[in-house]
Amino acid sequence: MSFVDTTAAALSPRARRRRILRRRLLRRPLALVGLVVATAFILGAILAPWIAPYSAGATDFNAILAHSSSKHLLGTDELGRDVFSRILWGARASIEAGVLATLLAMAFAVPIGIVAGYYRGWVDAVIARLTDVLLAFPFLILAVGLAAILGPSLTNATIALGVGAAPALIRIARGEALALREEDYVRAAIANGAGDVRILTRHVLPNMLSTLIVQATVAIPTAIIGEAVLSFLGLGVQPPTPSWGVMLSDAQSYLSQAPRLAVYPGIAIFLCSLSFNLLGDGLRDILDPRTTR
Amino acid sequence: MSLLRVEDLSVRFETDDGVVHAVDRLSFELGEREVLGVVGESGCGKSVSFMSLLRLLPETAKVDGSARFGDADLLRMPTSQLRRVRGREIAFVFQEPMTSLNPAFKVGNQIGEVLQRHLGLSRSAARRRTIELLDLVRIPAPDRRVDEYPHQLSGGMRQRVMIAMALACDPKILIADEPTTALDVTIQAGILDLMRDIRERLGTSIVLITHNLGVVADIADRVIVMYAGRKVEEAPVRELFASPQHPYTNGLLGAIPRPRTVATRERLREIPGRVPSLAELPTGCAFAPRCPRADDRTRSQVPELREVRPHHLVACFHPGPDEEEAVA
Repeated sequence: MSFVDTTAAALSPRARRRRILRRRLLRRPLALVGLVVATAFILGAILAPWIAPYSAGATDFNAILAHSSSKHLLGTDELGRDVFSRILWGARASIEAGVLATLLAMAFAVPIGIVAGYYRGWVDAVIARLTDVLLAFPFLILAVGLAAILGPSLTNATIALGVGAAPALIRIARGEALALREEDYVRAAIANGAGDVRILTRHVLPNMLSTLIVQATVAIPTAIIGEAVLSFLGLGVQPPTPSWGVMLSDAQSYLSQAPRLAVYPGIAIFLCSLSFNLLGDGLRDILDPRTTR
Repeated sequence: MSLLRVEDLSVRFETDDGVVHAVDRLSFELGEREVLGVVGESGCGKSVSFMSLLRLLPETAKVDGSARFGDADLLRMPTSQLRRVRGREIAFVFQEPMTSLNPAFKVGNQIGEVLQRHLGLSRSAARRRTIELLDLVRIPAPDRRVDEYPHQLSGGMRQRVMIAMALACDPKILIADEPTTALDVTIQAGILDLMRDIRERLGTSIVLITHNLGVVADIADRVIVMYAGRKVEEAPVRELFASPQHPYTNGLLGAIPRPRTVATRERLREIPGRVPSLAELPTGCAFAPRCPRADDRTRSQVPELREVRPHHLVACFHPGPDEEEAVA
């Protein structure tokens, strides 16, 4: 009877749901931290041209291997390039590769998985066995092998990471489709004359979205680390273009004199992938349909 | 003039344990504006028969026979043509209202989708029609409910939405598979009331699949009793209740609680034994092992359907109502 109830009743269902989700997010501090840090990295990457103190390639020969100072926040590297600026610029390659590789993997893994799970039969058998074979290779080995075949560049590294991430996603989409095809509402839709395309796009795909979103937030940090590995190995971003992997690779030669050159990009990789993971964990709890009312 | 004429419908499932005859040479007709009740225990093939008509069964089901609807055979028409029959000419309402709606979309959109697909209505026209339909199935405040998600509705409400969806394209036949089983008794009465109203106002023929003879008595014109995949008795509803011929029907009627039995604390009669496995049916009448009238002939020969009274078919060698003293 209090006026709080009347305001809640006045809200549209959509607004009420959004409010529930927001309250759930606020109750999970780790997810919130993940969201804030991940957003900060993404903003840093997008705004690098405006907020980075120096351009990525700008050299300052008066400050080679310099320590932190007001002029160079995190010091400089062996060519006098500002480390803080390079980490910001490097975030572009990392996040670009992470997000694009995940989207790429989704773009072909999800349809393949849905088709396999929904139609069953020999299509499913072939796709499932091929996926099993690919899953036998560790993700990074697969990505490194593909990147080596495709040739070194950020685009090829992204493709390699995307393909490497696909088998796990195919399996998840297939499993979801297998479960969803047995749902009563799918049967009801068939009885109402819906065709396969409509069933897959209206009834199967939307109901696996929250699972896919969570899976994406897990796949992104994996791809970010993967990009760093590929670049470190010289299969990804090519110097002098900055990337966290390239910076780690360059830092190797100066490990004894200036270990900070390896530590800073390492921390960046660590924080960035941790933030996406925390966000993913939080989203899984928040979007879990079993707790949604 | 029959709307749907099914002849010799058989459904077999080939399983590891052998061939299961879920439906065995079922024939029946459905007239216009007729309410046909189909009664039987779980697993007697009543749902499977009607799902097979719209080819809703998994591919492991082998379906034979014919199902004349208009001038086409439902069992032989191409899938693309069948899709225009499903939901538009013949609509299905399933047993489980709680899970038959897609949780990801508003109920209005789900009904509207059927309208847009089958009738080619525009979005706004579909929405207006959806609100009319929700009103028709007596959902209060339909203009608000149309924008709600399934989880915001109660079970009875959802079943009304499913019925609204089934009625969306003004189908000729509505097949309702245990539409009230999952609902409270009071809600059940409301849904049955609604079905009766639909037949009156829209002239829809209704097939009501149920295991509850009480429901059938309430609403059906004619009743088919099925046992172990076969039709064992068929009669107009008054005739069936006045003069049940098959011992199985007698058994079902004896198991209904009535005011008289409650008042005299009479024990309800049950049918002894249980439904035989369809994979290993006995030779002879499938009901023989549970039947008080069974004899050697019953156990060796399958009784065929014959007309024992006008419009009253029964598949039994010893038809007739139970003697009253059987209670004692």
